[in-house]
Amino acid sequence: MSAPREDRRVDVHPRYDAVIGLEVHVHLKTESKLFCDAPVVYGAPPNHAVTPVCLALPGVLPVLNRRAVELAVRAGLATRCTVHPRSVFARKNYFYPDLPKGYQISQYEEPLCTGGWIEIQVGEGERAQTHRIGITRIHMEEDAGKSVHDESLAGAEGSLVDLNRAGVSLLEIVSEPDLRSPAEAGAYLRTLRSILRTIEVSDADLEKGQFRCDANVSLRPKGAAAFGTRGEIKNLNSFRFVEGAIAHEIERQARILDEGGRVVQSTLLYDPVAGRTRVMRVKENADDYRYFPDPDLVPLVIPSDEIERIRLALPELPDQKRIRLEAEYGVTAYEARLLTSSRALADFFEAVARGHGTPKTAANWILRDVLQILKEADAEPEAIRLEPGRFVTLLRLVDQGRVTARSAREILPELLLRGGDPEAVVRERGLEAVSDSGLLEAAADEVIAAHPDSAARMRAGEEKILNFLMGQVMKRTGGKASPATVREILARKLRG
Amino acid sequence: MTPADRSTPEPLGSLAELGAALAARRIGSRELVDAALARASALEPVLHAFVGLRAERARAEAAESDARRARGEARGPLDGIPIVLKDNLVQAGEPTTCCSRILEGFVSPYDASVTRRLRDAGAVVIGRTNLDEFAMGSSTENSARGPSRNPWDPGRTPGGSSGGSAAVVAAGVVPLALGSDTGGSIRQPAACCGVVGLKPTYGRVSRYGLVAFASSLDQIGPFTRTAADCAVALAAIAGHDPHDSTSLPEPVPRYAEALTGDVSGLRLGLPREYFVAEGVEPGVLACVREAAAELERAGAKLVEVSLPHTKYAIATYYLIATAEASSNLARYDGVRYGRRAAHPKDLHDLYHRTRSEGFGAEVKRRILLGTYVLSAGYYDAYYRKAQQVRTLLRRDFERAFEGCDALLTPTAPETAFRLGEKASDPLRMYLSDVYTVSTNLAGIPGLSLPCGLADGLPVGLQLLGRPLDEATLLRIADAFQRRTDHHLRRPPEPR
Amino acid sequence: MPRITRDEVERIAALARLSLAPDEAERMTAQLGALLDYVALLGELDTRDIEPTSHPVPIATPLREDRAGTPLAPELALANAPESEGGAFRVPPIIEGGE
Ligand SMILES: [Mg+2]
Ligand SMILES: [Zn+2]
Repeated sequence: MSAPREDRRVDVHPRYDAVIGLEVHVHLKTESKLFCDAPVVYGAPPNHAVTPVCLALPGVLPVLNRRAVELAVRAGLATRCTVHPRSVFARKNYFYPDLPKGYQISQYEEPLCTGGWIEIQVGEGERAQTHRIGITRIHMEEDAGKSVHDESLAGAEGSLVDLNRAGVSLLEIVSEPDLRSPAEAGAYLRTLRSILRTIEVSDADLEKGQFRCDANVSLRPKGAAAFGTRGEIKNLNSFRFVEGAIAHEIERQARILDEGGRVVQSTLLYDPVAGRTRVMRVKENADDYRYFPDPDLVPLVIPSDEIERIRLALPELPDQKRIRLEAEYGVTAYEARLLTSSRALADFFEAVARGHGTPKTAANWILRDVLQILKEADAEPEAIRLEPGRFVTLLRLVDQGRVTARSAREILPELLLRGGDPEAVVRERGLEAVSDSGLLEAAADEVIAAHPDSAARMRAGEEKILNFLMGQVMKRTGGKASPATVREILARKLRG
Repeated sequence: MTPADRSTPEPLGSLAELGAALAARRIGSRELVDAALARASALEPVLHAFVGLRAERARAEAAESDARRARGEARGPLDGIPIVLKDNLVQAGEPTTCCSRILEGFVSPYDASVTRRLRDAGAVVIGRTNLDEFAMGSSTENSARGPSRNPWDPGRTPGGSSGGSAAVVAAGVVPLALGSDTGGSIRQPAACCGVVGLKPTYGRVSRYGLVAFASSLDQIGPFTRTAADCAVALAAIAGHDPHDSTSLPEPVPRYAEALTGDVSGLRLGLPREYFVAEGVEPGVLACVREAAAELERAGAKLVEVSLPHTKYAIATYYLIATAEASSNLARYDGVRYGRRAAHPKDLHDLYHRTRSEGFGAEVKRRILLGTYVLSAGYYDAYYRKAQQVRTLLRRDFERAFEGCDALLTPTAPETAFRLGEKASDPLRMYLSDVYTVSTNLAGIPGLSLPCGLADGLPVGLQLLGRPLDEATLLRIADAFQRRTDHHLRRPPEPR
Repeated sequence: MPRITRDEVERIAALARLSLAPDEAERMTAQLGALLDYVALLGELDTRDIEPTSHPVPIATPLREDRAGTPLAPELALANAPESEGGAFRVPPIIEGGE
């Protein structure tokens, strides 16, 4: 059974509703390929990671990778699918140079997992909405190799085939057509990726082609129940492209329908530079994959106690963690969602929050400063090198007034990405906050003397001028003055 | 064709005889291999059984075997014995063509598991033998290299598809050859050539390195002159292999110990449907009935059994075998190995011309039939239906084995036919597998042994057993050979 | 079931990447027709409740430990290639819609 379908209205177009389903292909995190012991490597020279089996030499036979099965079961359980104790590998027959056997070993009539769902959130803060998106099925299959059409390599006269990727284990995760907008599609993919990374099923690195997406898009007049004819956009390898491609496909189909035309079922490619989808080929009934059970592989049987064992060993999933963080640390739902977008970030937060004792402070620093630093460095939370305990030390220095927040922010990027002892860095750079009242009194006197008008307005009760004067004192002390002490001194001197 | 001259070397003895001679140092492996190579070359103009000989490497390996023996490190009954492989079993560094133009020039970088096991046991591969292209046929007439000839009558087929392997064992070139059997391709040529041929239980012998024809039916097995030799060969190649997911993880019994010579009390089932007069040559029927009577005299009990779905076996077999073959043969595309059409203008042209030029008519016919029965709209009516009938055929055997320990049948309805006799009628050719295909569909073991001559040509007796019960088949065959001399009859030396 | 037509034979041949000369297509149509007539014999059997047999062995698929082995030496991987370049298999251009 599929997940309950929500009948929702999302305004992507004034006259039409969009119906979107996604097929995601994910590389499983295995050392060797799905059916042979060729190593799984990225960026190796062509055909350096092949065996007779993945070259499809005459006489070879497939033997299934145990780890791949376990990871596939894990993915099924994490997305609340039914994991079937018996599933069957089938051959999908078609000819292509990157498909050495002339068929792909996949699962067809009896896949490993069916009928799950994940929850996604779109919008932020007050306007955030959550939706349940159905997972139709998850099955195991082997990846194809790569055809390089690059003219500089292959010349205009042909292509070059590299089979290093041929036979790498894939999960195909097929969603129900439950998505209604490009933004929802993006949220679905980000959530799915975060789940797969959390449970260590896949690194899901988009640049390495470990997480690839095909999108099925159709339109129907607003309020209509029946689905329209769909376009299938192939091989989208960035979240931005998925959202862009779907948006453009919606426009393309709307234009056809507005002109009284008929959408033809077709396969499309997205050109991110031109920002448009292009019909690659029209689907006739020519696709006849002649699926049949692979006689070289008897059915895959996973005892139910084995499935239970895998279930028990599952780590906490992002949405379970989100609910726990809200309850345990008093962060808002929005903050919890950001914090759980990556397991590394959530772990870092928890360690800092516990060590510091004021989760709110930890959350503020992490969501504002840490995320900003990572973004600027184009880095993932896994790149954090600062031990949580040392981050706590830095926060304490701020709490104690020994370092100003401004100084702390100045040294944080380097500490965060390289690690180090905050106290030592503060000392080396001479960033200890100045709270020596003699020094600050002198600085305050200088400022008052330099800005007699402002001083007068302050004396006259114009409180908001205090901030200006404080800023001047800070400037003279290179930002190291303890703001509380400066405020106190200025107030004493100018309020009488 | 030039007749072999008078200096044709003597035929080699059985595995047991040669093994004893090696053990007693009456002869060395090097001499044996030389003799085998000399006889192979001398008979080749008549038999046309070989695709290739590996004389130099074989001699070097024989010398190594002799050295091992001299050090007291001989590895067992196969050490130093010259053998041959059907040209659909790969050996590292050697070409494998399956007698198809499409595999021209292919040299395997890896060993088949059976090749590895035999080489580890010290056997010396002297060459590769002819077959119907991709093992599709019953006569070797579908070989891209032309047909092999029956040592008993060079105007006739040695049977097929493992015709080359059967012919060289019958002609005394080697005492052991490997073949493969998808619908009778070991047993039918064994019958045609008057030797012992065994198709083991599906999963008993690893298929890794056997170029696939129909994966759920294919099985590798030995040709020998005696049942005792067959037991030795099976012991060497049987057993679980982690490279084949369909390989059975069952221990291998000591087959030699099953050869007690005693069949008293064994119940032998004669399937009513296999003894119907029409289609079976009277000479064949007479020999098989006499063999049954001989076993009865030895103490076995004959019982009549029924395999009611027998008449559906050929249809079922051709649907399943061609469907699997259409997919198994998709990898021959001219991209990674084998033949590629000259100057392809684009990929479409490469595929179509490579495959159309590379495959012979029978292979194309089967690819087309198999593609058709799997295609949208026909899968249920043909492929799925055939798989359901396969279940019925399997149950027929299960029921029959409730009342007997082995089945006894003719191997083929007729003796070796004349070359060219059936070449123009595929269906007629297919029907000659009528007694052998059910065995592959059910996955049970089957053994053919010579049981006499009809009009001067060998007749095969087929024994079928329960899954993994090769031991009983070998025991019956061995007991029969102890009481009779059919297996000692030799084809006339070609002149 | 209606007899297989020459058009169907050509459609199947295209799926299997085989080209048939006109006389070959004619002959194949006749031969496949005869074979399909023969296998229609199975229609006599009522198989409604019969489980299909895909594999003659009653075992579940064995699983291999996830350990990477030594790949084939690149020269061996390409040794049989009709055409290769820069360590890759070379194929003629893939014409859109053609393949
Ligand atoms: Mg798909
Ligand atoms: Zn897929």
